Amino acid sequence: MSGLFEDFDDIADLAEGLDDPVPGARIMAVIDLTDSADPAAIPHLARAIADEDAGVRKQAAQGLTDFDGPEVAAALVSALTDPDPAVVAAASVSLTELKDPTSGDAILPHLGDANEVKLTACLAGIKELRRPEAMTPAVAALKHAAPGVRAQAVGVIGWLQDETSLPALQEAAHDTDVNVRRTALAAMGFSQSEAAQSALIAALTDPEWIVREAAAETLAKSGGPSCIPALRGALADDYWQVRLKAVRSLGKLGATEAAMEIAPMMDLPVPNLRKECAAVLGELAVPATASYLKKYADDNDPDVRKNVRWALERMAA
Amino acid sequence: MPLAQTATTVPVTVNADLCIADKGCTVCVDVCPLDVLRIAETEDGSKTAYMKYDECWYCMPCEADCPTGAVTVNLPYLLK
Amino acid sequence: MDEILDGLTQIDCDILVIGGGTAGPMAALKAKKKNPKANVVLLDKANVKRSGAISMGMDGLNNSVIPGYATPEQYTKEITVANDGICDQAAVYRYAQECYGIIQELDDFGIRFQKDQNGEYDVKKVHHIGTYVLPMPNGDTVKKALYRQLRKARINIVNRYMATRLLTGEGRIAGAVCVNTRTAEFLVVRAKAVIMGLGAAGRLGLPTSGYLYGTYENASNSGEGYAMAYHAGAGLANLECYQINPLIKDYNGPACAYVAGPMGGYTANAQGERFIECDYWSGQMMQEFYDELQGGKGPVYLKLNHLAEETISEIERVLHIVERPTRGHFHKGRGTDYRKQMIEMHISEIGFCSGHSASGVFVDEHARTTIPGLYAAGDMANVPHNYMLGAFTNGAFAGLDAADFIADVDFAAFDEAEVEAERTRVLAPTKRDDGIPPNQIEYKTRRLVNDYLQPPKVTAKMELAQERFEEVREDMEQGMYVRDSHELMRALEASSILDCADMAASASLYRTESRWGLYHNRVEYDRDDENWFCHTILTKGDDGKPAHRKQEVKPYIVEIAEDEKDAYNNQRVGASVAAE
Repeated sequence: MSGLFEDFDDIADLAEGLDDPVPGARIMAVIDLTDSADPAAIPHLARAIADEDAGVRKQAAQGLTDFDGPEVAAALVSALTDPDPAVVAAASVSLTELKDPTSGDAILPHLGDANEVKLTACLAGIKELRRPEAMTPAVAALKHAAPGVRAQAVGVIGWLQDETSLPALQEAAHDTDVNVRRTALAAMGFSQSEAAQSALIAALTDPEWIVREAAAETLAKSGGPSCIPALRGALADDYWQVRLKAVRSLGKLGATEAAMEIAPMMDLPVPNLRKECAAVLGELAVPATASYLKKYADDNDPDVRKNVRWALERMAA
Repeated sequence: MPLAQTATTVPVTVNADLCIADKGCTVCVDVCPLDVLRIAETEDGSKTAYMKYDECWYCMPCEADCPTGAVTVNLPYLLK
Repeated sequence: MDEILDGLTQIDCDILVIGGGTAGPMAALKAKKKNPKANVVLLDKANVKRSGAISMGMDGLNNSVIPGYATPEQYTKEITVANDGICDQAAVYRYAQECYGIIQELDDFGIRFQKDQNGEYDVKKVHHIGTYVLPMPNGDTVKKALYRQLRKARINIVNRYMATRLLTGEGRIAGAVCVNTRTAEFLVVRAKAVIMGLGAAGRLGLPTSGYLYGTYENASNSGEGYAMAYHAGAGLANLECYQINPLIKDYNGPACAYVAGPMGGYTANAQGERFIECDYWSGQMMQEFYDELQGGKGPVYLKLNHLAEETISEIERVLHIVERPTRGHFHKGRGTDYRKQMIEMHISEIGFCSGHSASGVFVDEHARTTIPGLYAAGDMANVPHNYMLGAFTNGAFAGLDAADFIADVDFAAFDEAEVEAERTRVLAPTKRDDGIPPNQIEYKTRRLVNDYLQPPKVTAKMELAQERFEEVREDMEQGMYVRDSHELMRALEASSILDCADMAASASLYRTESRWGLYHNRVEYDRDDENWFCHTILTKGDDGKPAHRKQEVKPYIVEIAEDEKDAYNNQRVGASVAAE
């Protein structure tokens, strides 16, 4: 029965549709080429991304999401200066979907571009490709006037997980923009260096709670014994989400000296916090906290009960 | 016994000026999980997509995948 | 299009996968990869590009078991407890061991999971000691990525064909009868193995809006998988354990405790007080929800208006962009804003869906049903609480096992008369000059489901339901009328829905105890571990009606301590805490 199965058409035949004088027909050709999932379609889609009709260009920019490699990246970068914002937006999204590190070859030369939109998209695109060559231009982009560019640059640096970038991240942790500060602190999670730790501790007193939260959370990964006093201080933060992250990090760091400060927090009405405290008291396994835990063995929240039970088992063991 | 002709307002609307069904586009018809869209031929011979069956899960692929932004999914009146 | 044509084609394939949503594509890919020479056909009544429960996307994995965050033992324990102990652990445990490999494979497909600022997986702690929730920032591209893989693997895709009955012979699977939803032409597929991934029975109860398609599940998931398995003689497990969910009222989409809970959102009563501590969906939680509504303390709300602006924006970003994008439109239309008001919630219609409960076609840890060569995975198979990642992972198990199964067998011979009988059944509504349209058959069935089957379950009401269903069945078989092939698809769906309604009533009457909170709250009976700590298996009896038997729960792989078994009971907030 003809037409029963989805077709696997010849790419050259599908590409002929790109020469149709009617834009709508060319859009359909782009869709068919995309659905082929055949890398042979890439050059044709790269041609379509320079079509005279904006609708065709946008469809091609979207369609290239389904492909990868330097040729795809080059076509998408070229679309970042398209006069139509919809085309630029589509190309920007597609750039972030690239996975093949060699795709970065086509992006690297543009990491100093003067066009803010293009630069932001290129930084976002190179991030997950983890190309070490991106480090220098990303550090330079931390000086950019636009916070959006700076946030993307911090992202690139964080994914590279390179100790030499710490001074740059430290500086970014004092950025005027909240989002850049928060991202920079989270990006330090790969490092247990003193530089990272001191920046994270300093940020525990940031005026914005989401920055303090990021710092408290990241200390679970970056922190060491010297960070425990600062985290104990954060147990009194006036925002519960910061307190919760501080409790969790103290647990991860094995801060048994904080156990007697965490135990009374079991009495707080925020259930998420009670759950976390019970779990962390289990991790710390300080016998003196058992009496606090036992009080909540019949807590109304089944997750608190479970965590309490688990914590008491750990102490017994 | 003939069936009744009860009117119903449908949630999916198509902007005929943007729709390129004329050019062979059937993207919205193809992607609808409930298969409720069809292509209509208007009096002047041009074609446009429309919602033929009032059986919509308001899930959005028709709107999201339309290459020209011609399709709008509203919530069905009974639940909006 | 939609004209009724006369036609019948027969094709052969090694493996027929029915359902192109989540489990099906993964099954097809795995089978093809294991045996590249196998002819694998993937069939869907919609279009594989956008079919199934994740049509538009999914905001995250609710049950990822990632080394360092949770262990297979922990997970298996949680799921066993969440199911009141009625759980064959082997399938759950194997899932827990292998799902991380599937996550990595999905990552390679281009489906992005949330990573931290160093590019490592970012797993959110939600409700347990273990940590299972992995957000998917580009979850809207799941279907696209899957489709791309299917095309690359050159899987034979058949769209817009609806399987209506399975064919069996020689004591095993032989193929399926299918009908084109736009032409009514028949397709008979002979297959050595068949994998079913047809999703939930989402059009069983009627939503309170009264709109037939305003369901919680994708409305195209109308229960064909359950009906076909039943008619083929497969066993179905624990169908009395319904799916019932707490949803945004009228919109009927999830309130998403998984997203809002860890950020401090919760379910509250009319006074804005928390009355359940744990928003994790369970039968006990739904019972408390029901009691609050019945006890005059409702309506029940999703409360977010005490949270910080940053937190609310983040919740909105996740909830309104990925899984059900129209949710944002809904709130806009109502003028509701999480910052200002609490959002009214309600109890969903009933359905079958193992994604959130434990009922479905009985399968083992290889996704094998009780019929050799027939597999089931995803929402329709009885691996409990398996969600999207379970559909992918169990679909993979099905594909892998089927690839082995076909190596040793040829096509099973089947009775040609079965095909002819099925053609007659399917086409009957096209042969009449007038009659009852399928939407009325469906509406009446589902309205009766609401009236008589929605828990709490009362014996006399369920028996009345059975009488009414008999009458509707008579009307359907003798008087249903369709005008085109699209309506014929709806007629076939109405038939599946009625089959599921019959099974729901019958299974609920069989288990004479209460279990799983509201899901199987039989008001005349208490919980009875002595007699009912077992699976119930429903099959098609010799009289053509549901038959039942008990089946023992297999010995646990991961032991559950006596005092852990009640973990999901006692969900109500005590007075002292509620007052704060």
